[in-house]
Amino acid sequence: MSGRSVAIVGGASTKFGVRPSTWSELAQEAGAALFRAVPELRAEDVDSLFVGAAEPERFAFQSHVAPLAAEQMGLRPTRILQRTELACASGQSAIRSAYAAIAAGLSDLAVAVGVEKMNLPSVAEANSAMGCVMDRPWDGPHGATAPPFFAMVAQRHMLEYGTTEEQLAAVSEKNHRFANSNPNAQFFDKTFPRDKLLRLPMVAPPLRLGDCSSMTDGAAAVVLTSEEYAHRYTDRPAWVRGTGQYSDFHNLANAGSLTDWVGLRHAGRRALDQAGISVRDLDLAELHDCFTISEIIEYEALGLCAPGEGGAFAADGRGAVGGDLVVNPRGGLLGCGHPLGATGISQALEVFQQFSNAVPAARQAPDPEWALVHNLSGSANVHSVMVYQRGGAA
Amino acid sequence: MTDERARRRGGASLAPTKPESPRTAPSPAERTSVARPGEKRPFLLDFFPLETARDTRLSKFYDRLREGRLSTTRCPKDGVLLWPPRTACPKCHSEDLEWVDLPERGRVYAFSAVLAGAPLGMENEVPFPVGLVDLDGVALRLFGRIEGAPWTSLRVGQAVRVEAYDLNDGRVFYRFRVAP
Ligand SMILES: [Zn+2]
Repeated sequence: MSGRSVAIVGGASTKFGVRPSTWSELAQEAGAALFRAVPELRAEDVDSLFVGAAEPERFAFQSHVAPLAAEQMGLRPTRILQRTELACASGQSAIRSAYAAIAAGLSDLAVAVGVEKMNLPSVAEANSAMGCVMDRPWDGPHGATAPPFFAMVAQRHMLEYGTTEEQLAAVSEKNHRFANSNPNAQFFDKTFPRDKLLRLPMVAPPLRLGDCSSMTDGAAAVVLTSEEYAHRYTDRPAWVRGTGQYSDFHNLANAGSLTDWVGLRHAGRRALDQAGISVRDLDLAELHDCFTISEIIEYEALGLCAPGEGGAFAADGRGAVGGDLVVNPRGGLLGCGHPLGATGISQALEVFQQFSNAVPAARQAPDPEWALVHNLSGSANVHSVMVYQRGGAA
Repeated sequence: MTDERARRRGGASLAPTKPESPRTAPSPAERTSVARPGEKRPFLLDFFPLETARDTRLSKFYDRLREGRLSTTRCPKDGVLLWPPRTACPKCHSEDLEWVDLPERGRVYAFSAVLAGAPLGMENEVPFPVGLVDLDGVALRLFGRIEGAPWTSLRVGQAVRVEAYDLNDGRVFYRFRVAP
């Protein structure tokens, strides 16, 4: 890896859910939480701000959100201020951009914040916002949004490999159980046993309500800095050791196989190779479970199991505490909700907190050293992966 | 308007109906209410594109669709058939692309249905099936609405045909219908 080493040295999140708060109020709340969580952080030292926000124009009728977020958070960036947009991966894009800037020496101390306000007075209007993530004039008029697309993915996986609704429900049950230990999760106080999940109404067959992440308001922020300054903020930095991204189509006609996520195989390989580790070295992973079938295919594409075995991997609890590695201990998108721009930041924050053994025992990975964070965006046409290593004394 | 044209605009198959095909138009019971009520939606909430030459260099696509032909562009140099239609070839970057008609029949590769969470203007159409369809004889798999059967009776491999339909505001679009 060239350039300076870069680490996440702190962070904070708002409560995720249906919030009686505006976009700006969520940004303020994340800023306030960040300065409380990282007492050594001084606003005047933050030279750059990266704002992950997928659709503020659609959801909040607000453009030019980078300076808006800076003002809300009490920051005056002097080196790089920008918004990053990559739909569901907008938050990870903010972190990746901050990492690149610091590694290159263009920034010394950056904040990556993700903000999304998704619950609108009109649910249909919010659904339209989700619809224009697709190739709007071609796929949009047919009613393409994420649920029917991922439903087709699930249908093909069931057809090709015999994956079952019960296996899908196993993913949802696990992630909702983890969310019960995360007060910031949208479904912190709701339980979803498997039999209940299997009785929930269909949204897009074969996917039921419990197979789908929800429309969520929320914000989260992390601080990144270089090896020279990391010790000022924490003795357990989460070092960025690898990144990978891959995009190979946009229109649904060009998706190719729905069940072999080539893009994730490439992005995962690149990130792990850069870190110099194998997928077996991972102690925990935050995988993009926008739908239950996504997590199942992600197990396969990352090489945690063979193609077609993701359903069994889930049902056998290999992604739970005590399994091969801990997957989505935060509660995942299914349990936390999915405020598009905030999700990737919240996942990275979980990694930082896991490395400090600072999460409740019910979801703590045992003494984790290596973690992977994955986001897909749109119709799984882009995959973004980052690999982190715990710093400080073991 | 000729009968033939009226039939096509009314939502029948794009197929120049084969002699053995028993039908030229869907029966009234089967005829889908035109997906669009025809009211004007703000541009930024309207999923359907602008179709005239004033707005798009791909207006021929819609002109041909109005004649009952689903088509796309092909780069004569590379010969690769691409979807959606384009103005520049992504491979050789030539802007001299040619229009070609696509097969009007295909088979369902995957399908689902929107039972909840429909975008604005589509709420009243719920539940509606959608699917990816492998067109016969070409390497194209198109996404679209599937009309003519409830989602519960659709099957992977099901034969469908493409049809054009009228938006009642001067615009047209395409969708699939379960083949007889
Ligand atoms: Zn060409």
